[in-house]
Amino acid sequence: MYSDLLSALPEVIGFSNFAAVIIGVIAGIVVGAMPGLSATMAISVLVPFTFGLEPLVALGLMAGIYNGAMYGGAIPAVLLRIPGTPAAVATTFDGYPMAQKGEGGFALQVAVVSSAIGGIASAFALMLLAPPLSKVTLLFGPSEVFWVAVFGLASIIFLLGGNPVKGLISACFGVFVSVIGADPIYGTDRFTFGQLEMLDGISIVILLVGLYALPPVIDLLETPLKTDGVESSKLGTEPIWKAMPRMKGFWKTWLRSSVIGIWIGILPGAGGSMAAFMSYNEARRSSKNPEKWGEGEPEGVAASETANNADTASALIPALTLGIPGTAVAAVMLGGLLVHGLQPGPMLFRENPDVVFGFMWQFLFGAILLILLGGSLATNSFARLLNLPRPLLGSVIIVLMLIGVYSIHGRMFDVYLMLGFGAVGWVMDKLKFPLPPVVLGLILGGFAEENLRLALRIGRGDWGVLFQNTTSLILVALTVAVIVGPIVKRRMIDRRKQAES
Amino acid sequence: MSNRLTRPETLTALGIVVVAAGFLVPAAALRPISALLPVAMLIGLIVLSVVLLISDQRKAAAGEAAQPMTKSPKRVFGAFALIVAYALATDFIGFYVSTVVAVPLTAFLFGFRNPLGLALATVIVVGAIWLIFDFGMSQDFPAGRLWAA
Repeated sequence: MYSDLLSALPEVIGFSNFAAVIIGVIAGIVVGAMPGLSATMAISVLVPFTFGLEPLVALGLMAGIYNGAMYGGAIPAVLLRIPGTPAAVATTFDGYPMAQKGEGGFALQVAVVSSAIGGIASAFALMLLAPPLSKVTLLFGPSEVFWVAVFGLASIIFLLGGNPVKGLISACFGVFVSVIGADPIYGTDRFTFGQLEMLDGISIVILLVGLYALPPVIDLLETPLKTDGVESSKLGTEPIWKAMPRMKGFWKTWLRSSVIGIWIGILPGAGGSMAAFMSYNEARRSSKNPEKWGEGEPEGVAASETANNADTASALIPALTLGIPGTAVAAVMLGGLLVHGLQPGPMLFRENPDVVFGFMWQFLFGAILLILLGGSLATNSFARLLNLPRPLLGSVIIVLMLIGVYSIHGRMFDVYLMLGFGAVGWVMDKLKFPLPPVVLGLILGGFAEENLRLALRIGRGDWGVLFQNTTSLILVALTVAVIVGPIVKRRMIDRRKQAES
Repeated sequence: MSNRLTRPETLTALGIVVVAAGFLVPAAALRPISALLPVAMLIGLIVLSVVLLISDQRKAAAGEAAQPMTKSPKRVFGAFALIVAYALATDFIGFYVSTVVAVPLTAFLFGFRNPLGLALATVIVVGAIWLIFDFGMSQDFPAGRLWAA
């Protein structure tokens, strides 16, 4: 089962594939360090540029960015109390007080070592759990695949939290976008309005760039954040090897937070922020002196940073095996896989083992490289990034978005379409409509329709074919549980509150 | 009354209902099996938007104020307008000319006023794009419809 994993290793350590991971980690740290930019946005902007690249080079860049950005978010969180990414909020609790005491450098070193440990644990979890799960999913027929798609959509809508009506609207929108273009069986036009550019359907890249890159750019221009800047000379940074002995007491926190992060990553809909908060609370609860937490306790930084990196690769376990992403970044990465003709799901492991297992190694190398690239020297340099003017950054990202989308097919139509999706994405973002269900709807919508129609053809139009075997029924039961579970839980909490009051 | 109807969520819900209903017209011309999923999604959007509309109106009736979508509408509108203008300029005038103007103009209008920094950033950005995409990857950019005509 794991022989394919070992066979993929020589390919990954080739120059171009390894260089892609290095560049990705550096770019990820830069992006993560910029408040307002996120790994999701960076990967969305990057995806169109990877068209001409080898799949492993493109995936290496994405794996590097994801790992790097999760750590990069800690830099402004520690130095300015502004989390660079949502997952770094818990890092501010103790990281910033440490910086105020002149221990900002040590806080960043704890963050980088913890991030690397979390990332390594997560990559091992991906390597160990994904192959056996893929063996099971290979047995699925069209009706099971249809139910997997429905389960994926249901889980991301209902486990994401927030307003389920908005989640459902997002998913319906995504699925509707997936049906635009030629009918997969009869080839008739659907909702193209005579536009030849839309016959092949709407490229996921156009949707990703519009939804995930345009709203943050508008935010960058809307509220230019004014900071006092950071002088790297005041960080109090010493070489990382000198700082390591001070961290040897953190091993329990690293272990606990890695488990929490991996588990949260696997759960569809949950993400790095939840992992970091849960891990921080657990570490504080088990601490001998919890009263010191919040005043500059390095273990607090270790707990949140380990967990928010431990959910990176593990979020790809359901994404690669079932096509259900655990986080928004994983959803965008699925888009990246599709760009290279790799359909996430059971067949990916059979048809492209070198790529999928290579991708897992790249996650591991990305996590290890964090220590080397995010060490003391790099941390000093990255801290200076916070002084970059945001309006300038915004204008550069706009240019990159235009180039990226235009280069897919060499036509401006796609750029206008991207701007349309960007406007929709901005409204959705402001009204708190979740964006991951849109992406998942686009990915799974076509997939679900194709398999539903195939199943109906096999069953000669009998809808009962969808409920004829045990696997389908288990998947239906899981889908119902995912929908009903949060509602029951909410009712129980409400009743408890009423009883208490 | 008009305030209740101009709440962002209410307007969005109404917008979704109108657009989804509009899409049902071409959907009616499709084969039943081809129309199955799109019609299900459009009806889903309409029903869910009505639920959202009712929920928002209930909040309005209870006196709950609507959250504004932006603190500075002028800046947001300006940003969108600039991005659209940049895309149109790229299409009609050409990529390089538009980019040379758009990068410093956007940064200047939104608060970065250092002339040297603007000039340097423009040269670096446009130079890097030319070097990587045009020279290195032979990527063609729009030359401008006006010059092609």
